[in-house]
Amino acid sequence: MARLIKTEKEVEGHYTETWVVVEEDVLEQWPAGPRAVVGQPAPRIDGHERARGEARYTADLALPGMLHTAVLRSPYARARVRRIDASRALTAPGVRAVLLPEGADLPPQHAPEAIASEPGAIGAALAERARVAPLTSEPGYEGHAVAAVAAETQAQAQAALRLLAVDWEPLEPLLDADDAVRRKSLVSEPRVNERGDLERGLAEADVVVEAVYRTQNVLHNSLETHQAICHWHGDGELDVYISTQFVWGVRDAVAERFGLERDKVRVVCEYMGGGFGSKNGPGEYTLIAAELARRTGRPVRCALDRRDESRAAGNRNATIQRLVAGARADGTLTALGGEFVNAVGWDGLSASTAGPMQLLYACDNVRTVEYGARLNTPPNAAFRAPGFVEGTFGLECLIDELAAKLDLDPLEVRRRNYATTDPVNERDYSAKGLERCYQLAERHWARRDDVRARSDGAWKRGVGLASQIWFGAGGPPSYAWLRLNAEGHATVITAMQDIGTGTRTAVAQIAAEELGFPLARVSVALGDSARGPFASISAGSSTTPSMGPAVRAAAADVKRQLLEIAAQRYAVDISTLTVEDGRIVAGGSRSWPVEEITGLLGDGQLLGKGARGPNPTGMRVLTFGVQVAEVAVDVGTGEVVVERVAAIHDVGRIVNPLGARSQVEGGIVQAIGYALSEARLLDPASGTVLTKTLDAYKLPTIADVPEIVTEFVDEPDPHLTNLGSKGLGEPPIIPTAAAIANAIRDATGADVRSLPVTREEMLRALREARERERDRLGAPAA
Amino acid sequence: MLESLELTVNGDRHALDAPVGRSLAEVLRDDLGLTGTKIACYEGHCGACTVLLDGVPALSCITLVHAVGGRGVTTIEGLREHPLVDAFVREDALQCGFCTPGQIVSASALLAANPRPTREEIGHAMAGNLCRCGAYRNIEAAIASVGGGR
Amino acid sequence: MELLRPRTIAEATAALRDGAVALAGGTEVVPLLRDGPLLAARLVPLAGVVPRGVDGRRATPEAEQSHEVGAAAATAAPRPVLRVGAGTTLAELEVDPEIPAALREACRLAASPQLRSMGTLGGNLLQATRCWYWRLHSGCWLQGGDRCHAREGEHREHAFFGNGRCASAHPSDPAAALLALGATLRTDRRELPLSELYRLPRDDDRSTTTLAADELLLELEVPSPDASVYLKAMDRKRFAFALVGVAAARSGGEVRIALAGAAPIPWLLAAPDALDEATPLPGTSYKVEVARTLVDRALEAVAP
Repeated sequence: MARLIKTEKEVEGHYTETWVVVEEDVLEQWPAGPRAVVGQPAPRIDGHERARGEARYTADLALPGMLHTAVLRSPYARARVRRIDASRALTAPGVRAVLLPEGADLPPQHAPEAIASEPGAIGAALAERARVAPLTSEPGYEGHAVAAVAAETQAQAQAALRLLAVDWEPLEPLLDADDAVRRKSLVSEPRVNERGDLERGLAEADVVVEAVYRTQNVLHNSLETHQAICHWHGDGELDVYISTQFVWGVRDAVAERFGLERDKVRVVCEYMGGGFGSKNGPGEYTLIAAELARRTGRPVRCALDRRDESRAAGNRNATIQRLVAGARADGTLTALGGEFVNAVGWDGLSASTAGPMQLLYACDNVRTVEYGARLNTPPNAAFRAPGFVEGTFGLECLIDELAAKLDLDPLEVRRRNYATTDPVNERDYSAKGLERCYQLAERHWARRDDVRARSDGAWKRGVGLASQIWFGAGGPPSYAWLRLNAEGHATVITAMQDIGTGTRTAVAQIAAEELGFPLARVSVALGDSARGPFASISAGSSTTPSMGPAVRAAAADVKRQLLEIAAQRYAVDISTLTVEDGRIVAGGSRSWPVEEITGLLGDGQLLGKGARGPNPTGMRVLTFGVQVAEVAVDVGTGEVVVERVAAIHDVGRIVNPLGARSQVEGGIVQAIGYALSEARLLDPASGTVLTKTLDAYKLPTIADVPEIVTEFVDEPDPHLTNLGSKGLGEPPIIPTAAAIANAIRDATGADVRSLPVTREEMLRALREARERERDRLGAPAA
Repeated sequence: MLESLELTVNGDRHALDAPVGRSLAEVLRDDLGLTGTKIACYEGHCGACTVLLDGVPALSCITLVHAVGGRGVTTIEGLREHPLVDAFVREDALQCGFCTPGQIVSASALLAANPRPTREEIGHAMAGNLCRCGAYRNIEAAIASVGGGR
Repeated sequence: MELLRPRTIAEATAALRDGAVALAGGTEVVPLLRDGPLLAARLVPLAGVVPRGVDGRRATPEAEQSHEVGAAAATAAPRPVLRVGAGTTLAELEVDPEIPAALREACRLAASPQLRSMGTLGGNLLQATRCWYWRLHSGCWLQGGDRCHAREGEHREHAFFGNGRCASAHPSDPAAALLALGATLRTDRRELPLSELYRLPRDDDRSTTTLAADELLLELEVPSPDASVYLKAMDRKRFAFALVGVAAARSGGEVRIALAGAAPIPWLLAAPDALDEATPLPGTSYKVEVARTLVDRALEAVAP
């Protein structure tokens, strides 16, 4: 029976209470451990299509008659457009339409109506990110879209763009985050979270450490850039082909912007070339394409190029974290405090950088203040565990500095402050395997004496660890259908998207497991809002925990029908029937191939549907982990080499161990870039982006990747759905940078507190450590 | 200015007209419909557009199509039966898959020159193919498995 | 745009004289043409015109005279010299055992495999700076403007020598190796030491080379040292330009050291302690420290 319930929905740590209609989730969880299909390593079912270059990404699509777009982006971090003369552009070869912003003083004969500015929100949790003003005459960051041209070819559109005569009034940009906080230039109210009394906690401490940590801006740099093709047809219906993490969110936002019924908008994303959080909404490019398509009556593509991607597609914001911790001599935390400044930029979410400090440790006195500085820099967009990646770097380095001062084992300090209920709201955890992670980490942690012993004159080696806490419960609503045909082949139908994480394969495994089919007999049709039910956003580590239970329920619905027919056909008691490896088995003795039953259907099909049940009420559903990094530091040149990372995570049941390991490795590789080489740099005077190209913005290469050892606790969360699985997209990127920094301290005694740890930062920290040592030795014996 | 040219791609000869300055990548994707070759940076910094010119890896996004001359072009579409394809899938050496065709093209050249590459040699030969999803360890494993190095 | 088809050096230089732009591997010219800093109505492909490949050890006339003295007198004998065509790709040099270690390693650590397969040695020596202000054509001093944006701006990848006017750093790894090796080069009209190809840009002429607009770089003569090495510090293990590259080559008792990523041009270091005369900017002082370590290590590596 369908039930109307109020449930908590969480995306990236933001809880919202919503009414949802849920189906009874009557299925018992499968027992822990690998099963016939679920829990077995499965190569991705779309692997060959991708590897052979057959998969059609948005970038590969071309509709008949399609026009191309060039977008004029502000070259200034802050400016006013006094006037745009579009007359030459409008008459340039191939040009079919020019869009201009409101507010500019336009020649009346060439003043196409501007796109209005507020397309509305996707949903409460993602509202900030979805808010897009497509064109502006008062750009607030370099790259802010000001005007757009649609033409027959990309080259013609670009040529016409150069013919737009713009009268700019450059204005002084605000670039310094601390300055912005002082001037109250904030994207949202400061967030204060407090429990106990920080001052009292510090007074009770035997040891107090204070430190300032800084993290840099980094860019998602998905290899497929942000892009969409929009096509109006029929009676005001709009097709949107887009590289997106949220088919349905794009549908809703575009529909709202254009005043359409939601289902008049169809959103398609079958293959997707990476997003990492930056493709949760439609973006200005989609709205520009849709508007240009409306005006021209032609399909219109609007795609960012790599340089636009580096200034207008979002980024992980820089932070300044002023932290303090107090502890008793035995390592028990008495106080944790922090002032966090998120350099958010022009727009976007001020993510929960204080989250790890609030959530990770049992500590009675905690006070955090978070500021989201609004600056004339490109907007922030969610980037794989936004806030927690930055905040875990600060917190977990601080804990190690504390351990060093107390002369205690860093792992022991973490265990001493282990939280058994949620320290913020005292809720029970639905499941918490962090202690199990620590146990599994012990053998990696025990390598540190051997690792240190391999140091030589130039290269100093050490080991560091850091913990991870994050969300990842997923939630309703999410739906799936399942169709079984006469040949005994099942197709999962749901309008979710596989952004490269392997969710297409994971849901196929879940369906196969429930049906009792081999994996090869299950296909997945996804990525089309007109041809499947509503499905989760692929963000906040939510696709598998949201979709998996719905897919399993749909498969169970079909299996029930299959067995009902089989019971009639073979005249056996249905309670004795099961399906194993594609055969219907009666009481363990007799069996028939599934096709014997499905073959009776002819053109008929068995259809099932499934819905995601609610999350457990009043419990904290979180993911946990620990990573142990081994590094080598060349103290002569400041080079840091990560030699090995062991990653142990608790995300409930693992559906596909092969794909899960890939997720962990991918997160760690991105984290190594974050820790060592990636930084979006701005010109300090003008605020323009200097690292717009992939030679200047240094992503890790294959040569930079260490040995990575991945282990999972792999225990189903007993309170979470019929599956017991949580999300894994984000957890692995969270603790790596802190583990690396802590390993650097272990190797060299130097405190690196600023990311990335470039040569200059490493050499600075080494110099500081030498001076500290000299002061210590040189201090009078008194 | 349009200039006609002949281009041999995966063994097929094509006669076409293209403006001087047009890249090989655009011709492959837009004129010949061979969209397996991806454009991700369009300036030679990422390797997604890698093709072989007479067996040598080259960046098609910064190769002018008129400068290809008589060299034979091999794209991912010409390598669909290469054992690396199965190996990449088996080892889960791809996530979003956007860089994968370029990875496989580069790897095919490596294995042709060095059938049993070491880890170090794979790192050196594959460093021009960026993978933002970070599938590198599995890419290495896939190449090593075809090379018999494991 | 028009693509010319020169068959001879004379045809190529004539086209250059008329304002055409030379196209070798294209790894530098094609992006710059697309992007704006470089404008051309006509391109002159150099493939088939400029020599490509390495001539086997070709003895100099003096070496021929001393040939009979035999290997035992090698220390006294004039050094054999390799002739490397400017059209040779970095990938070809990287694996050629005849090539001195410093140059081989400089090629090996340059760019990416694809770029090394495409890019030629001549093109590499003549590449423009990677300074982001220059690349994003900010109208800086080197581009004819009135100030260097990098000096007051973001310059962690920039110069610590010769940076009074322009803080850009020359990115070529092979150039540093060839400078240390004492290479000479031949153009269509002259022979000159490689060190004379480069010169710091001046107010009245902001070019970083002495090459005439219509002059073609044809061939390099590379002496074989007793020992040579190239060490490179970069932001990732591969596929990055040098923060600091140090080449050292020893021939008999003489050691020459040259730096990449250190100055607007490849930089010959008169002596190891010449690093004391560096003029780092606030953001490049770390490079001097890196250079000190690498110079020490390079000297140790080439020591007899």
